[in-house]
Amino acid sequence: MRRALRTYAPELLLVVLIVLAAMWSSTLSPYFLNSVNLLSAAQFFVIFALMAFGLFPVVVQGEIDISLASTLAVGSVLVATFSVNGVPLALALPLVLIATALLGVLNGVLVTYGHLPSLAVTLGALGAYRGVAYLLAGDAGITGITPDYLLLGSSWVGIVPSSVILALVVAGVFWLLMGRTSFGRYSYAIGASPEAARMAAVPVNQVRVGAYALAGAMSGLAGWVWVNQYQSARGDNADGTILFVLTAVVLGGVSIKGGSGKAVGVLLATVLLGTIQTGMKLANVPGTSQTLVVGALLIGSIGAPRAVQLVRHALSPARRRLRITGAAQHDPDVA
Amino acid sequence: MTAPTTRATADAPGLVARLGLSDGAAALRVRFMGVIVFQVLLMVAFTSVTPRFLTWDNLQSVLFTAAILAIAAAGQTLVVLTGNLDLSVGSIMGVTAYVVFDLAGNTPALGPWVVLLAVLIGLVLGAINGVLVTVLGIPSIVATLGTLSLYRGFVSFYAHATEVTIGELPTWIRSLAPTRWLGLSSYVWIALALVIVVGVALRTLPWGRRLYAYGSNPRAAYYYGLSTHRIVIGAYVGAGVIAALVGLLLGAQVGNINSLLASGIEMQVLAAVVIGGVSIWGGSGSIYGAALGAVVLATINNGLVLLGVQESFRLLFQGGAIVAAVAVDALVQRRVLSATRRRSVGVTS
Repeated sequence: MRRALRTYAPELLLVVLIVLAAMWSSTLSPYFLNSVNLLSAAQFFVIFALMAFGLFPVVVQGEIDISLASTLAVGSVLVATFSVNGVPLALALPLVLIATALLGVLNGVLVTYGHLPSLAVTLGALGAYRGVAYLLAGDAGITGITPDYLLLGSSWVGIVPSSVILALVVAGVFWLLMGRTSFGRYSYAIGASPEAARMAAVPVNQVRVGAYALAGAMSGLAGWVWVNQYQSARGDNADGTILFVLTAVVLGGVSIKGGSGKAVGVLLATVLLGTIQTGMKLANVPGTSQTLVVGALLIGSIGAPRAVQLVRHALSPARRRLRITGAAQHDPDVA
Repeated sequence: MTAPTTRATADAPGLVARLGLSDGAAALRVRFMGVIVFQVLLMVAFTSVTPRFLTWDNLQSVLFTAAILAIAAAGQTLVVLTGNLDLSVGSIMGVTAYVVFDLAGNTPALGPWVVLLAVLIGLVLGAINGVLVTVLGIPSIVATLGTLSLYRGFVSFYAHATEVTIGELPTWIRSLAPTRWLGLSSYVWIALALVIVVGVALRTLPWGRRLYAYGSNPRAAYYYGLSTHRIVIGAYVGAGVIAALVGLLLGAQVGNINSLLASGIEMQVLAAVVIGGVSIWGGSGSIYGAALGAVVLATINNGLVLLGVQESFRLLFQGGAIVAAVAVDALVQRRVLSATRRRSVGVTS
């Protein structure tokens, strides 16, 4: 029991925060704690959840992909293009997923085989893929999506919107993928130490490229959800949302240095961010002021453990001994 | 060892600068020259396609666009040299521009003293970044991503969805952007002055040398006895102050300042730094390179607009330029590594 508590401490903290945020939100507006409101609000965050799950294995491997929002735009524009041209969804969706996965593969190949820093590569891709999206969509964007493509946004399972079900299914898939498959184990191994993983005969390059491909495909899927939600696709879709997605991943307990993090954490963090934003929207807090809370949450959740440690050190009678451990932690390579 | 191509060597922070051997220095000079050559090639290409590119008026507008980006890139370079990042610069610009111009509009008696307030704001916000990264040990991407939201949220909260309009601003601020000195925009001179000041400081002051020392090898710097926290905080404070000044310039140029000023600029700034050959691994690169990177970016933007090329191709081209720039960096770094390794081990293969 205690071990379980310790293993899931970050997730428990997230659950507590979600409950607190929900309580706070319901004091702001009597309409918050209403299943219809909650579920329709949840729909809006499905897009972010899908991208966050795509980003999750990449970050676990100690890399980053900031181009995902642009990949989403390409995905949404492709979906819309297929729709207006009368391609059946069953054919179009796999094609879109393959195309966006290939965009991810390009990132992955540059990072692994080109030995380039992932931040710089995906910074370039952030612009380039956005360019591709504009190129495909034209300046006006694409409207007039056929109804068969909009099934996801207009159907419910009981009272739950289909897109929310999709997000939960994806969460389950990633939980299995990262917890129960060799891909997952390899990802954690690579994140902890790429060199050690290589020496342990982990196919580091393939696993890395695989993670990027998966991230691309998830963004493509998110692009389809986007089209369902807004019934149109434009080149500037989801511009700037990667910061929110990265916040969700990191807040979910995935170390940006790689090697740790759980799928359930990512899901809970997205729910938490969603709850807070919905609550603040109800309280008429303007969108940009909401970022104040999101930023504080991000810094607080990561910085708090270390801050507590520092305070404890300062108050402890055995300061001398602790200062030595402090120094060891401070050593940039050891830490 | 199959060394030069393995991940471990590529990850080794800024070995190039630490080695400082002739081969390394030569490779770095080549890297800097590479940016210049690229810039010249761009100019030749644009001129050959549209003669309007090489007119004095147009070049001035390129320089004007590059000026603000160059200052911002100089600030970002300080942090990148230490192997960290500052994603919050756009928000620092936004906070400074709004708060300072709001005050300048309400109390005109303060005059140019408000610039001091800007410096103070940059100092405090930069220091917060630095403390989060060092004392609390939060990885820089995460910490500054957080403060990006935090600072932007603050200015939005402070502004209450109102604008500082150009009419409220004192004349000295309004006249800053259109002013010309010796035929060039005041911004170009300010940028030149700031870039040189920061460049000289980096080269001559112990503060600057420590940035390189720490960025090349944080661990060695620590065991050498350098106060590593202070170095990184110093870099963030420098970047914060410079971002604050950029905020003022940007605000004075735009005139009507809302709480969204300069949001998203961090990507452009990072692009300039990377194109300018500042190693994202830390420890190597120069302010002048970063400023040149800003000029390259501005040239690309300007030239493609002149050609009537769509936004989509501009983004594609810019993205490609960033990836190409880091690819060249990686190549230079590997070349330097293999050269020095051969020498130190005394094996030729």
